[in-house]
Amino acid sequence: MTVVIGFEGSANKIGIGIIRDGEVLSNPRRTYITPPGQGFMPSDTARHHRAVILTVLKEALEQAGLKPADIDCVAYTKGPGMGAPLVTVALVARTVAQLWGKPLLGVNHCIGHIEMGRLITQANNPTVLYVSGGNTQVIAYSERRYRIFGETIDIAVGNCLDRFARVIKISNDPSPGYNIEQMAKKGSQYVELPYTVKGMDVSFSGILSYIEEVAHKMLSSGQCAAEDLCFSLQETLFSMLVEITERAMAHCGSQEVLIVGGVGCNLRLQEMMGVMCKERGAKLFATDERFCIDNGAMIAQAGWEMFRSGQVTELEDSWITQRYRTDEVEVTWRD
Amino acid sequence: MAQEKSMAVSEFLSNAELLKQGAEARVYRTKFLGKPTILKERFPKRYRHPVLDEKLTHRRTVQEVRSILRCRKAGISTPVVYFVDYTTHCIFLEEIVGSLTVRDHIASAQQPGSCADAELEQLAKRIGQILAKMHDEDVIHGDLTTSNMLLRRRPENKESDLVLIDFGLSYNSALPEDKGVDLYVLEKAFLSTHPNTESLFEKLLKSYAASSKRSAAVIKKLDEVRLRGRKRSMVG
Amino acid sequence: MDFTRELELFPDHKVTQLLFKDVKNSRELRQCAVEGKISGALINPTMLVNPFQVLVAANKAVHSQKSGKMKTRSLYSEIIFNLSPTNNISEAFKRFGISDGDDSVMVVLVYDRNESPSLSNIVAKVDGQQVPVGDLSSLSNLTKIKQLYKVTPQEEKCGTLLDAVVCRMASKDVV
Repeated sequence: MTVVIGFEGSANKIGIGIIRDGEVLSNPRRTYITPPGQGFMPSDTARHHRAVILTVLKEALEQAGLKPADIDCVAYTKGPGMGAPLVTVALVARTVAQLWGKPLLGVNHCIGHIEMGRLITQANNPTVLYVSGGNTQVIAYSERRYRIFGETIDIAVGNCLDRFARVIKISNDPSPGYNIEQMAKKGSQYVELPYTVKGMDVSFSGILSYIEEVAHKMLSSGQCAAEDLCFSLQETLFSMLVEITERAMAHCGSQEVLIVGGVGCNLRLQEMMGVMCKERGAKLFATDERFCIDNGAMIAQAGWEMFRSGQVTELEDSWITQRYRTDEVEVTWRD
Repeated sequence: MAQEKSMAVSEFLSNAELLKQGAEARVYRTKFLGKPTILKERFPKRYRHPVLDEKLTHRRTVQEVRSILRCRKAGISTPVVYFVDYTTHCIFLEEIVGSLTVRDHIASAQQPGSCADAELEQLAKRIGQILAKMHDEDVIHGDLTTSNMLLRRRPENKESDLVLIDFGLSYNSALPEDKGVDLYVLEKAFLSTHPNTESLFEKLLKSYAASSKRSAAVIKKLDEVRLRGRKRSMVG
Repeated sequence: MDFTRELELFPDHKVTQLLFKDVKNSRELRQCAVEGKISGALINPTMLVNPFQVLVAANKAVHSQKSGKMKTRSLYSEIIFNLSPTNNISEAFKRFGISDGDDSVMVVLVYDRNESPSLSNIVAKVDGQQVPVGDLSSLSNLTKIKQLYKVTPQEEKCGTLLDAVVCRMASKDVV
């Protein structure tokens, strides 16, 4: 049996999870929530994580019913993400690894999402759509890498949603995306927005600047409601995502899709992806907010795979990096 | 009336051989007026809003036809358009008989024991030249991959023809930014589809740069777009 | 002599092409067509590269007729219009229809597959020599065709003249 504890804090969530051979023993999490109209700043986010991390660690161990001696390896997010929060979490991971005398493992955050998705859904070799506040990628595995077939050429889809939420002052609690999703359900009028797909890549910055420019005018003139804008934005963004996923599937001959990342728990996105999959006889795998949204267990799970394939990170190599592409990691645990 | 017509097309499709279902369209192989023909049907995508779907489908059908003609006029090989039905969004195209995708060609040339390096470099050079010619005509392909390039063997020629296909995402633009992104899209598709071909792709770009009158600004934009990708903060 | 094909897309339709040279009564024929005494399209064969070109025009004409989108008044005038690379109707008739002095003509008939049109009736009306439709290329005026369709020398390197012509016919609605 191999037990791995994972520390995640690359953005505004701080999570610590424990995995024992595919079983999630615990996975507590806290979110740093900012007032409407405001994003989260690195230093404030790091301060939040510092304030709660030991409480979360205690919860993780208690809920799992484990003592530090039961842990085999300490995994932490090496990147990508915001510098200050990453440093905070890595520091704690390094400290406990030395206190407990356990090996360390620096994990790529995106790989964490993919491996957690594969574990929970049992998808075998899916085309992965990874969508979050900082990432938008279409990924498929081949020859020991998770290769990026498509991605955003400017901002991430979650970032586009978050910034739209700030424009019309939608609450960040529990997350801007969740609130946009709820409002979109009440929208009915479809407002035409720019649609930019380039092969397997997408661009969202044009949509954002367009909607930033017209939103207030349209709302104050009564041309449409905020709910209609939420609806139209989701319909447009998600159509683009489904389209590039389908293009990558056709390109790779894949019959499975796995959606991961914070935006991945949006039920409208899952529904649209499901329709596409049905049309081509493919299978959709998705998870709910427990595992889609950043969490500690996903870092533990990727760490578990890496550790079992013989990897460890020496203390002097246990740094963090804000930029760390998914395809930089050699996947030593898959054929 | 319209219904009668779409009946005709759908009945015709039911007898055609479905080759593949891409992200854009169903692709059939058939005979049209006696000629081997590829039929591309942009059927409604039910996952997207009907207004958006109709807009995209119509625009892409039109753009595909326009760009094919533009390329052919410039001497770039693309399939001949035989017939277009804008109500069912079907395009009837010349089948490039006896062709192989560049993707399959590279994959087989990369097999161990196949020492086809020089030949692949020659191919990369030709791709670069043709893309330069296309961009000089201000045609942006929009979906460049090695699957969207065919090699047609001609018995009378030693070299096979390079044929560009799938212009559904194409458009006209003279902006170096658009051309740079076009190459960036190809670069990513190329390198993710064909592992360890960085130097081959370099050759392609070199040949592009040498062939196009306006390549300097395009390559500069390509570098910028690449950097944007690497610099992206990727938070969350 | 004549060349008949079913339209795959409209299987109840057949198209027959008849080619004549040394025609002496083109003026009279044209009059017959105007008055509806010949139910067929009379085309100037010097502007044709290949019978396939006519089939493409005929297929499109039947399609436009069935979907109520014809640009001209009859199926036969629509075939002539479809041959042209532009959307100018009178220009199309001038270039692709027959003129009084022409000494060759291509007659195109479109009919229900259960009908058998009287070809001898057509042959009897033309004062000229019927030749195999396969001989069409001997009548083609390549220089004029290239000029009218604006075919560039580069284009001929990547395909045949027929390819260039057909591609323009098929795409003229959106160019």
